[in-house]
Order: sequence, then C-alpha cells, then structure tokens
Amino acid sequence: MSLFRNPFDGETNLTCACGRHSTQAEHDVDAEKLSRQALENAVMRSLFPKDAERRRFIRSVGAGTASAAIASLFPFGALEAMAQDKGKVEKKDLKVGFIPITCATPLIMSAPLGFYEKQGLNVSLVKTAGWALIRDKTMNKEYDASHLLAPMPLAISLGVGSGAMPMQVATIQNSNGQAITLAMKHKDKRDPKQWKGFKFAVPFEFSMHNFLLRYYVAEHGLDPDKDIQIRVVPPPEMVANLRAGNLDGYLGPDPFNQRAVYDQVGFIHLLTKDLWDGHPCCSFGVRSEWVKEHPNTFAALYRAILNAAAMAANPANRSTIANAIAPANYLNQPVPVLEQVLTGKYADGLGNVKNVPNRIEFDPVPWNALGVWILSQMKRWGYLKGDVKYRDIVDQVYLMTDAKKRMKEEGILAPADMPKKIVVMGKSFDASKPDAYVNSFAIRRT
Amino acid sequence: MSAAFLQVRGLTRRWSPGAKPVFENVSFALERGEFVCIIGHSGCGKTTILNILAGLDEASGGEVIMDGREVSGPSLDRGVVFQGHALMPWLTVRRNIGFAVKSRWPDWNREKVGAHCQKYIDLVRLTGNEDKKPSALSGGMKQRVGIARAFAIQPKMLLLDEPFGALDALTRGAIQDELTSICAETHQTVFMITHDVDEAILLADKILLMTNGPQARIAEIVVNTLPRVRSRHDIHHHPHYYRLRNHLVDFLVHRSKLLQEGREDEAANERLPRVVMPGLADHEIVPGEAAERVPALKQVK
Amino acid sequence: MSVRARSAILSLLLLAVFLAAWHLATLPRAESGASVDPEYAKLMGLDKPKSDGMPTPAQLAGTAWKQLSDPFYDAGSNDKGIGIQLAYSLGRVGLGFGLAALVAIPLGFLIGLSPLAYGALNPFIQVLKPISPLAWMPLALYTIKDSTISSIFVIFICSIWPMLINTAHGVASVRRDWLNVAKTLEAGTVRTAFQVILPAAAPTILTGMRISMGIAWLVIVAAEMLVGNLGVGYFVWNEWNNLSLSNVIFAIGVIGVVGMLLDLAFGALQRAVTYVE
Ligand SMILES: Nc1ncnc2c1ncn2[C@@H]1O[C@H](COP(=O)(O)OP(=O)(O)OP(=O)(O)O)[C@@H](O)[C@H]1O
Ligand SMILES: [Mg+2]
Ligand SMILES: [Zn+2]
Ligand SMILES: [Zn+2]
Repeated sequence: MSLFRNPFDGETNLTCACGRHSTQAEHDVDAEKLSRQALENAVMRSLFPKDAERRRFIRSVGAGTASAAIASLFPFGALEAMAQDKGKVEKKDLKVGFIPITCATPLIMSAPLGFYEKQGLNVSLVKTAGWALIRDKTMNKEYDASHLLAPMPLAISLGVGSGAMPMQVATIQNSNGQAITLAMKHKDKRDPKQWKGFKFAVPFEFSMHNFLLRYYVAEHGLDPDKDIQIRVVPPPEMVANLRAGNLDGYLGPDPFNQRAVYDQVGFIHLLTKDLWDGHPCCSFGVRSEWVKEHPNTFAALYRAILNAAAMAANPANRSTIANAIAPANYLNQPVPVLEQVLTGKYADGLGNVKNVPNRIEFDPVPWNALGVWILSQMKRWGYLKGDVKYRDIVDQVYLMTDAKKRMKEEGILAPADMPKKIVVMGKSFDASKPDAYVNSFAIRRT
Repeated sequence: MSAAFLQVRGLTRRWSPGAKPVFENVSFALERGEFVCIIGHSGCGKTTILNILAGLDEASGGEVIMDGREVSGPSLDRGVVFQGHALMPWLTVRRNIGFAVKSRWPDWNREKVGAHCQKYIDLVRLTGNEDKKPSALSGGMKQRVGIARAFAIQPKMLLLDEPFGALDALTRGAIQDELTSICAETHQTVFMITHDVDEAILLADKILLMTNGPQARIAEIVVNTLPRVRSRHDIHHHPHYYRLRNHLVDFLVHRSKLLQEGREDEAANERLPRVVMPGLADHEIVPGEAAERVPALKQVK
Repeated sequence: MSVRARSAILSLLLLAVFLAAWHLATLPRAESGASVDPEYAKLMGLDKPKSDGMPTPAQLAGTAWKQLSDPFYDAGSNDKGIGIQLAYSLGRVGLGFGLAALVAIPLGFLIGLSPLAYGALNPFIQVLKPISPLAWMPLALYTIKDSTISSIFVIFICSIWPMLINTAHGVASVRRDWLNVAKTLEAGTVRTAFQVILPAAAPTILTGMRISMGIAWLVIVAAEMLVGNLGVGYFVWNEWNNLSLSNVIFAIGVIGVVGMLLDLAFGALQRAVTYVE
C-alpha cells in the first residue's frame, strides 16, 4: 500500500512515527521515556493524588518496598522488566485477538506500522467473531493478549457471565469513539421520549455501550428494561439488522456507526463523547498468570501499544492509520469510512458534515475510578446483586491490596484513585460513594 | 468291526426350551466313502441336521462323532455347499475359491493358491470364467463355484444342501454326472439333502427318509439296491429301479405324514429307523436294528 | 431433437432468464442527490460509483475471477486466498471426519455384531444423535479450551452418528450364509471382519460416510462463522463484516461446488464397493 510508509524503514526519510520529533532516534528515546513515565505516573497518581503523601509513603517504607508495592499493584513485573531495560522477551511469537472495530486501532496498527517488530515481537493478530468468543479464547490461553471491552476484565474476574479467572487490564485502548445510530425512518424522532418500544442493539452485556445506552434512555425517563428492548448483536451484524428493520438503532462501536451512514441505512444520533467526554471503551487485557510468566514480553507488548497510542494520539497521523488498518486482514472496511471515524470529520447521515476532532481518542491511561463506575452500573441494572464491595473488587482487579496493607501499617490514608473527573451527562461521579450514586437514580433495579 | 466314520446318535433340536422339538432321536451312520441322501418334506429339519453336522448349529440333545471325535464347531474337515450358493458377491470366481484355499493352507503363496483354484475351476468346468463376479454367472455356474469351493479344501466329508435345487434339468444332470465322477475319483464321504427322488437314486448309496416335522425323525434307511456305478441313461432299466422309486414316492406322499401322526402300525412303538432294501428279499425289513450296525453295502451286491 | 438436448436448451434458457432478471434488479439506481453538498457527497462515497447491496451478475463474475485468479494469496493472518481458506476447512473436516470414522466404524462393528452392545449403547445413541452439532460448540469451547480443536470436535460429533448407525446396520445385516462360509472355513475373527463383514457391509457403511460428509461440510461452515480463524466459514463472516455481498455470494457458490465434489467423490467410492447379489 503506497499510501502507507513503514516508519521504521530506514530507506524512507520520515521525520518520525508520531511526527512530533525531528528524527526517529529521538522519537524512540522519547517513546521509551514516555512508556516508563506513563506507567509510573499513572500508578503513582492513582495511589497518591497528593505529592506530600507520596513522598511520605516512599520515605516510610523505603524505595525498595515502594517499588515492590507498585509492582504488585501494577501489571506484574512490568516495572522490573522496564527497569532492567528491555530484558530478553520470554516469548517472541504472540497471538493477539481482536474484534474488527476502530477501538482496536493501537493494537492493530502496531502490526502494519511495525511497532511490535520494533520491540522484538512477532505478533499474529487474530480476528475474532465476538466478545464471548474472545473472552473464551483469552481464558483458554489461545491468545496471549486480547482486545477486550473495558468492563469485561471486571466481569471475568468476578465470574459474572463466565467462569472466574484473574484478569489484568494493561491499557485502555481508546476513549470515546462510539455512537448511537438510528434507522433512517426515525430521522424525526430525535427525542428519546419518542423511543418507546424501540429495539436497540449493543455489542455485549458487559460493555460501556450497554451501560451508556441504559444511562442515556433512563435520563430521559425511559426504563431500559421495560420501555425499550436491548439485544446483544455482534457489531458487524448491526448494519445488516438495521437495514432489515430488525433494529431501530444501536449504541455500537465504530466503524459500524459510520458504515450505516455510508450505506445510507442510518444516521448518527449522537456520539458517546457527548454523554461522557473521555469515557473509556475497550481495553487491552491479559491473564494475570501470563504476565507473571512473561514479564519482559508483557513489557515489550506494552511499549509497542504505548508507542502506537502515542502516534494515534496525533490527529495528523489519523489518515495514515486509517489506510493501515483498512485492509481485509484487519478491519476489512472502506478507507473513507475509517477516515471519517478517526479524523472526526464525518457525514452524519442527515446531510450535515460534522467536525469533531475528539470523536475517538487514544489515551492509554490505566483506569481505576472507572472500575467503580462500571460496578455501580452493574449494580444499578441488577447484574450484581446485594451488597457490592466496590473497593474489594476493584482492588482485586487492580491488585491494590498489598500496597494498601502497607500503607495502613504506616498509618497512611488509603488513596482516592481518580486521575480524571467522571462526569456523565452533566452529573459528577464520586468514586468514594458508589452506593449513594446508584441510589440517586430514579430508574434502577436495586 | 470298527465304528463308522460318522455316527449320529439321538440327535434332537428344539428352538426354545420346552417347545416341541423339530426332530428328535435322529440316529444314523456313514461309512468312509459313502454317499448318503436325506429326503423329507420341507420344514422337517434337514438343513438343521446338516448345520449341526457342519458345526454351525448345536443340537439340544444327542451327539455327532466324526472320525472318532465329537463334532463341536465348524471345521475345515467338513466342506459345506449351502442351500443358497453363498458366494461372496464382491469376489470373483477365482477369489471366492481362493478365500477357501487360503483358509485351508494359510502358508501357501499366491501362485500355489492360484494353481490350486484353477484345478478345481477346471474340475467344475468353469474355465474361462475365473474373473467373473457371481452376479455375472448363471444359477448353475454359481452352484458349481460353490461345489468347487467345498471340494478345493479337500475335506474329509462333504455336506451338500440341495445343491441342484435351483437348476434346470439339463444342467442338473450335467453337474450330477460331474459330482458322481469327482466322488468316484476322490472317494469322498458325502451327506446330501435333496427333494428329488431320482437324484437320490442316482447318487446315493443310502437314503434317509424323514417324517414330517415337528417331532420329525428318520423313519427308514433305504439301501440303494442298484449297482454302484449308475448312469442317468440306463438306470431306469434296472429291475429294482421302480420298486425303489415307488417305495420312496410312497413314503413321501403317504407314509411321512402317517408316521408323524404315529398311525402306521409298525412304527408306533419303535424309535429306531428300519433298514429297507427294496427289490432285495422283497422289502425285507430288519426291524429294531441299530442303524450304525447295519452293514450298508454288503447286502446290495 | 432428443429430450436430453431439449432439456439442456431449457436449462440454458432458464439460466439466461435468471441472469437477466438479476441484472435488471441490481442495476444501480440513479442518485437523486444533485443538490447535495459536494463535501457531504464525498464523505458518503457518492462521488464515485460504489457497490451497495446486491452485486450485478457482472460484478459477481468480476469478484469470482479476482478470487479464482489468485486463490493462494497470503496478505496476513486474517486475509488469505479462497484456496487457502478451503484447505483449512477441508483439513478440519478431514480430521474430524477421519477421527469419527476411526471411532464409528469399529464401534459400529461391535454394535452390529453384538446384540448386547447394541442394547447397551442404543439409548445413548438415540439421545445424542438428534442434538444439533452446533449446540456442542459452547460446551466444547468450555471443556476443550481450544477453538480449532472444538470445531474439529463438532465435526467429529456430527459425523459420527450416521456412520455408527449405518455400520451397525450394515454389519448386523450381513447374510448369515457368508458368515457360515467363513465359519466352516475356520477363518479367524480378524479375517472374517476384514474379508467378509467389511466388504459385505461396505456399501451401507459408505452410505453412512456419505451422509456424514454432507453434514460435516454443512457444519464446518457454520462452525467457522462462529469461531473460526481461517476457513471458508470465516471468509464468509469476514466479507459479511464488510457487507460485501458479492464475496459472500461467491463463497456460497464455492461452498456448494466443493460440497458437491465431496459428495461425488463419496458416490464414486460407494459405487466402487457396491456389489450385485
Ligand atoms: N433359527 C431358527 N429359529 C427357529 N426356527 C427355525 C430356525 N431355523 C429353522 N427353523 C424352523 O425349523 C424347521 C426346520 O427348518 P429347516 O431349515 O431345517 O427345514 P428343511 O427341512 O431344511 O426345509 P427345506 O426343505 O424347506 O429347506 C422349520 O419349521 C423352520 O421354520
Ligand atoms: Mg433346507
Ligand atoms: Zn515522534
Ligand atoms: Zn470499544
């Protein structure tokens, strides 16, 4: 593909992969630094929002213990591996599963753009038919790492909807990037109050899509369990079902929102960015056990994704990326559709050209308060029954127990883990009071 | 005098315990080289007796002793020609016979087996049909393959179940002649089931007559009083021929039924077959003599 | 003119009518969007002709030609030529079917020979036989923990029953006479099994195998659409993702033709072992 140049090909005289550096070498140094910084910052910030507290912690437990505590809290061994400065990867040939949607952009583009190769990895990306399947294949150890929906590691770790298995979220793939698409025939029904009896689709039960759609209609006074129908439909089948009239709309991942517009069967009612700007969607998950066994490999994989995310974060690169991930081997979608999704300059299906540069963003910040938000919605809609121990569950997935125990010993208050403020449809979320949050909603299943 | 080659004593067969037996107390004997036919109405149990002799079926009572040993299970010592020809339709003539030859002599190589097969194919005059499948053969040819297969293993005794039943008169005559000559050559001991009185007279040294079933039994052992070397063309000129034939036909038409019902006087209290020699001593009867003790051929000539 | 020639002409005529109707039905409609903003039209892909929905016969022929002229291309782990995809599917079917034959034929032999085994196994067979093969998939994935082996297992489980039942039936109905011949010739168990029962039951067994192969080929496509990575079922699914109906229709044609060839092959085998009594 001539449109696309390998950034690591010495023959081509590129500035660098992300475009922010004058040479590739400079970029590489920065990327290394970036990944280490991103890691350290994210972890430390989530643990100790206040600088004074962080210093007190390190002073009281000693640097070694602090590093061990962080290692137990953050993807095992990743820090040590990075500290050892690229230890030898334990496993070179990796199988990584993905669902063909734009959320997986960093994970996918790393193959054609050579980010994996650069880290000494030979990754074979395996396109997978649905979320349940990718979950099973990840749990069955067929895949070394996978593209998962952000709530899935929580659900899997809890054993909700599948067998329980400790999972780890390495990075968030993307934020925003989803939309509500409605069938053309509903172009005059823009007020959700007119949606009674509509049939909607979401890609999976434990998905931001499901929770956001429920949240949205409930805010407009519709009970998502009574006034509308919500079905699970694999993303690729959403457009066809919309065309066939089996669905009135869906809250789905791109490119299938834009694809519905492109094929003139639907229009984009709203972007999820308008519900919650900066909401995460998909994550890059690995089994905890796998990370333990392959710390260097994990670190290398992690660096590749961080590099890719850094490149994707620059809007100037989006067109190149669209061309790189469009072929049948990856998303198998028309380039114009992907370009509209990634650049944010898109046709809305109603005759308007919109320009929303942050339609999708790639911000690899590990999530934490989000876990609590997801659990609060799982509780709200009855997926979790009874008294939910938000902290314990999130701590388990985030492996925070060790660090907290030490902090208690030292008399340090448990940190609030909120790197970003969560505001959904104008309503703030306080991760320290999830039950109060749940109970503040009129429509709920508790 | 030594015991007969094949001794059958008190054979009984019932299909289920407590049921009336198909036949009971069947006793007879065959000398080495003897040709015996058994005649009786359909369903009286002839095939069953043959199967027991072959070792394919088990008697409910009685015993079969061949060459001094009790028969239990099938053996290559007894070659069987089945009522249906029982050729394997997926094998050629040569390989049907070859299957038997290979069973008899597992160590033989392909050439030796082939040569042996050819000998018997020639014997039953099927030369030129070696590579045909049974479906491409006429009924008579199939029957001849069956005979060749039974002969090819050179058994001590041949058991033939209506081997010519399905054949037209001409073919039947031709094969009968072949069988006679082969038997004369090889001195085979033969036990054969037939419905054809003339066939029995032509081939047999002794003819066993069975009453109707159930509870059938062998009522008479008729000694063939015609000379040993017989031919289809002049057999009916012999003075004993019609006596013998009439005796057999009379048995089949009238007496087999009366005997079953136990209404024929002399038979009422006897379980052992009488030995009859039509034409000699005017139906001289040797009552109550145990069958195996009758010196079969001596009285004929 | 012979009936044969006339029916051939009629077939061609029907095909021509069908193609013409298809062509007319799929002619691109003239877009009425003359007043649409050119930038919007460009984003909608309206500035150049684009295939939407059903392909015309000519488009389908183009797709078929493109696929068939390079059937073994390899553009990455998720994008390979139709020939490679077929090889994967046939490999899975071959493995599952072969394993099923390895189990079903000996087991069918046992059941056919022994009324005891028949009585003991029959209830299980009756319960397991009518289960839709794909219903096994979640269970297989859960227990086997490998999607490729799971699809092979599903092929195995769906092709085992016709073979098992037909083998048992074929073996049980081998003519007594032939068995008696083998017995009087003192042929051993193995020799009887391979040289008498097997050829005698072969036509029935092959009928079972032919039915099994038909089912296996139907099931593999569905199984690959569900879990497959590579294979014709995956090919259909991948093109369905892209709403590329001409590729989907092409794949349907390929699946049909390969299924027919498999059936013909088994038909030929069946004829080779069939005997006239
Ligand atoms: N396996 C069996 N189970 C029960 N009854 C049987 C069996 N085989 C044969 N019979 C019965 O036993 C009787 C004798 O059968 P057999 O085949 O010995 O008769 P046959 O004298 O050879 O008759 P045909 O002259 O018609 O061949 C018949 O009434 C038959 O129905
Ligand atoms: Mg009979
Ligand atoms: Zn750069
Ligand atoms: Zn997503």
